[in-house]
Amino acid sequence: MNAIIEKQCNILDYALSSLWRRRLKNGGIVVVFAAVIFLVASFQLVTSALTESAGRVLAAAPEITLQRMSAGRQEAIPLAHADRLREIFGIRAVVPRVWGYYFDEVRGANYTVLGVAPGMPQAEGLSNAVANETPWPTGAGQVVVGRAAAAALELQPGKLFSFFRPDLSLKPLEVAAIFRSETELVTADLIAMPIADARDLFGIPATHATDLCIYVANPAEIATIAGKIAKILPDTRVLTRPQIQKTYQVVFGWRSGFASVCLLAALAAFAILAWDKASGLSPEERREIAILKILGWETSDVLGLRFWEGIVVAGLAFLLGTTLAYGHVVFGEAALFKPVLMGWSVLQPTLHLAPQVTLKEVLLLLAVTVLPYLAVTVIPAWRAASVPAESALGG
Amino acid sequence: MRPASVLLCLVATLLAVDAGLLVAGQARRDGMGENLPLLHTVTAALGLSDLCVATEARYTRHPAVSDPLVPFMDHPGAMEHFPTGSFWAPPGRP
Repeated sequence: MNAIIEKQCNILDYALSSLWRRRLKNGGIVVVFAAVIFLVASFQLVTSALTESAGRVLAAAPEITLQRMSAGRQEAIPLAHADRLREIFGIRAVVPRVWGYYFDEVRGANYTVLGVAPGMPQAEGLSNAVANETPWPTGAGQVVVGRAAAAALELQPGKLFSFFRPDLSLKPLEVAAIFRSETELVTADLIAMPIADARDLFGIPATHATDLCIYVANPAEIATIAGKIAKILPDTRVLTRPQIQKTYQVVFGWRSGFASVCLLAALAAFAILAWDKASGLSPEERREIAILKILGWETSDVLGLRFWEGIVVAGLAFLLGTTLAYGHVVFGEAALFKPVLMGWSVLQPTLHLAPQVTLKEVLLLLAVTVLPYLAVTVIPAWRAASVPAESALGG
Repeated sequence: MRPASVLLCLVATLLAVDAGLLVAGQARRDGMGENLPLLHTVTAALGLSDLCVATEARYTRHPAVSDPLVPFMDHPGAMEHFPTGSFWAPPGRP
């Protein structure tokens, strides 16, 4: 057993010396390969962190959201629709929600304005969500602002500001509190105000709401109740909480455009590398193999040599690429992807990403990067090693 | 020192860096886990349906409550032009 280990160690020593002799070429391969692995691993970590966050945070989203559709677009829903739902057994509460976007032409920022309706679950805990333990405001015109929105508008608690109504008259508002930074993942661009103020700002009549939040008594019946709602109100779109959670698995999936670019770039880089390797060894490398065979090396030893060379190059590239990717995503807030992930967003929330690294993901990455490289390294070496040494030397 | 030992030292160093990063990352995860009840309260009490990641377009700010067709609804023949549209796939509907 010791003899086998010693032999492999010697072959590894020789492989390392051989790699060192061509250090510029091999170093280049390690850097390029590590960069490709970094790109793919970073993307995988960002998407898995966001998907996981969505799954965990949105577990408290409304059980059913009901939107009215007209000519393929979402329109304000009449509150009379809520009355028609009361006949469905199992619905615990129907809460109208008024929300929308306010575009700030001066700063180019888009705020999400949300009317806080009475009767929402866990409403008594909202005071914990604002900085400095300020009580949740209920007075007319008092708003709670998200961190990114407050920074853009230069707002502090107590400050007065105003937004334009649709008729261009000014709606005065007062900042009662700022959301705590721990809630930034869902509140960064939010401006929460009493529902009456949101109606006033958007010009939505008291008979309508943007959509309806529906809470059911038994979560196991969400799909059944959603089906019944769709039958009673055919002009609506019914969104269930499982659908909302599933959305985030889809939007960051491998089908998304940027993922395709990452994968195509990785694939193209790897194809070039594989083509270079598989198209045959250089005359110098053939000569080296022939000399080794004349010196008494077996074909299996030559294969072992190429295998170790491949393992060293691909293994180092894998370790470097994945280490850099983890650091980039967790401690660098995925800075390289941020311009694409947030685009022209003026309000940019701080992204705290801490993905869980699972063995499954590491093995998947290993399988699509390292294993194919090993294969394309060993196959041409086997072809060269099986040729008689004399012919390889040109004799 | 034989070359294999140098390689071993290099790999051990990289693995040690990895282990350090993972431990620091796990501490960060634990910290984020402690905020989860607060995030649940905000999500439930305000009836939120989406993460605030991209704020440039309606369909990437609120993908869960948007149609896959929303990016093309601005006018007939409209093209999707927001940069985040290249990162976010359209939400699927069952």
